Amino acid sequence: MVTEYALRMGDGKRVFLTREKILSEIEAGSGNAADLGEIPDLSADEIDRLAEILMMPGKAVSVEQGMEVPVTHDIGTIRLDGDQGNSGVGIPSSRLVSCMTHERAFGADTMELGHIDYSFKPVKPVVANECQAMEVCQQNMIIPLFYGAMPNMGLYYTPDGPFENPGDLMKAFKIDKAKDSMEHAAEHLTRDTVWVMQKLFASGADGVNFDTTAAAGDADMYGTLNAVKTLRALYPEMYIEMGMAGEMVLGMHGELEYDGVRLAGLWPHEQAPLAATAGANVFGPVVNTNTSKTSAWNLARAVTFIKAAVEASSIPCHVNMGMGVGGIPMLETPPVDAVTRASKAMVEIAGVDGI
Amino acid sequence: MADFEGSLHEVADAVISCKKEKVLEAVEKAKAELPPEEIIDKGLSAGMNQVGVLFERGKLFLPHVMMAADAMTAGVKLLEEGMPAGSREKKLGTIVNGTVEGDVHDIGKSIVSTMLQSAGFEVHDIGRDVPIRNFVQKAKETDADMIGISALMTTTLQGQREVIELLKEEGLRSRVKIMVGGAPATQAWADKIGADCYAENASEAVSKAKELLL
Repeated sequence: MVTEYALRMGDGKRVFLTREKILSEIEAGSGNAADLGEIPDLSADEIDRLAEILMMPGKAVSVEQGMEVPVTHDIGTIRLDGDQGNSGVGIPSSRLVSCMTHERAFGADTMELGHIDYSFKPVKPVVANECQAMEVCQQNMIIPLFYGAMPNMGLYYTPDGPFENPGDLMKAFKIDKAKDSMEHAAEHLTRDTVWVMQKLFASGADGVNFDTTAAAGDADMYGTLNAVKTLRALYPEMYIEMGMAGEMVLGMHGELEYDGVRLAGLWPHEQAPLAATAGANVFGPVVNTNTSKTSAWNLARAVTFIKAAVEASSIPCHVNMGMGVGGIPMLETPPVDAVTRASKAMVEIAGVDGI
Repeated sequence: MADFEGSLHEVADAVISCKKEKVLEAVEKAKAELPPEEIIDKGLSAGMNQVGVLFERGKLFLPHVMMAADAMTAGVKLLEEGMPAGSREKKLGTIVNGTVEGDVHDIGKSIVSTMLQSAGFEVHDIGRDVPIRNFVQKAKETDADMIGISALMTTTLQGQREVIELLKEEGLRSRVKIMVGGAPATQAWADKIGADCYAENASEAVSKAKELLL
C-alpha cells in the first residue's frame, strides 16, 4: 500500500496524500504564483525540500538550529483579553499584562500596543488614553514596543466617514467621483495617521506597525505610503513596519502612483521596494490561503510569492503568518501542524527575515 | 465568406479595451454578419468574462470593469433594436447581495455586486450590517433567484445560516439559491449550513451564479 501523509485543506480539513500527489500539488501551487506574479517557480530542490517539510512525522516541526528568526505580534495586546470576535482567548487582563506576558512568557521579540478598534481613525478621540498606556508599558518592558493599527481607509467613507462610498459611486457609473472620493480619503488617512503617531512617539513608542495596508485598495496603500514617508522625515530613527492586507493591491482607483509606480495590481515582490522607498524598516508581505486547495498547494504558492518578495526587497521581510495567510488554513485557531510547517518553509525556503 | 469569428473577436476585444465607441463600432460591424444573440453571447459576454479574469490577475481595475460594463450595456442596447420584443433586456437572473448584521465589511461584497452586475445579473446590493430579515424581505420584493451573503468575521458567519433558516421558515428556500462568501467562509461551512454554493472571489461568484441560475 502506498504511504499517505496527513496534510490539511485550506479550510483546515484533514486530507491524506501520497508523496506523488504532494509533489504535484506543490508544482501546481508554485506554478500558480509564478503565473500570476510573473516570477520564477520554485526549483526542483526547493520543491523536494518543501515536500520533505510537509511529510515530516512530527506533529510540530521547527527550523534548524541557527536559523531562528524574530517573531513579532500584531494586535497582541488584545489577543489575551479579547474574545473570539477579535481573535482573542478571553482571559481578563489589562493591555500592560498582555504586553508583559508576551515579553516574559511567550518569548516575543517585539510587541505592539493596539486599541480595541485597531484602526488609526478611531484612535484620534482616545489618543491621550493610548499615550498613557504606551508610557506605562514602556516603563515596565524591555523589548521594542510599537504602536499598531490598521490604516483601514474604509472608515473614511459613508456611513463611517465624510466621503461618499466609492463602491456605491462605481455601481452608479460615477467613476470620476469615486476616484475623487478615494483621493480625499487617502489624504485624510495620511494626515490622521501622522497626527496619531506623533503623539505616540512623544509618549515613547519605539515604532509603528501599519497592519493590513491596502485593505481598501490602491488608495489605502497610497495614503499609507505617504504616511510612512512623512513619519520617516519627521523621525529618522523610528522603526516603521508596513504589513499588507492581501497578496495583490486591489485596483479600486486604478491610476494612483507612488514614486512613478502604479499601485493597483502590485504583487508582494513589487510592493516591497515601494515600502523601502517610502522609508519603512520592515515589510510584511501577505499571501492569501485558498480554502478549497490543499496545504501543499497553498504553501508552495505562498513560499513562491514570498521568496520573490524577499529577493526584491532591500529591507527585511517579516511574512504575515496566521489564520488564512502564509499557507496556513483559515481557522480561528490554526492547527499547530500546519502553522509550524508553513513557518519552517517560509524561513528555510523563502528566506524570510522574520515572522 | 465573412470572418464571423473575427467579428466576434473584435467585439470581445473592444469590450476588453473598455471603450464604448470601440464596442459600438465593432457591434455595428458584426450586426451585418451575425444574429444579435450570438454577438451578445460570444462577443460581448465573452469579452466581459475576460475583463473579470484580468481584474483578478491585477491587469485591469475596478474603473475598467465599470467602463467595460457600461460599454457592453450600450452594445446590447444597439443589438436589441434588431431583436424581437420578448427577448429584449433579458437579465441572467436577480440577485440580492449583502453583508450580514454585525459585520461592517463592505468592499469585497461591493466588488462581487459590481462583477455580477457587469456579467448581466440584476443585482440589489442591500449594503452591510444588514438585519437577517431584510435579506428575505428584499428577495421577496424583487422575486430574487439568488441571495448572496457575505461575512468577514468568524463571529458573524452564523448570520449566513440564519438567513437560510429564515428562508426555510418562510417557505422560500426551494426557489431561492444561496451563495456564501467572505474571508472565514469555506466550502465546508457552505455544506454545513446548506448553502447552494461558496465563492472564493468575485469572478468565482460570477461563474457559480451562472452555473446555478442558467
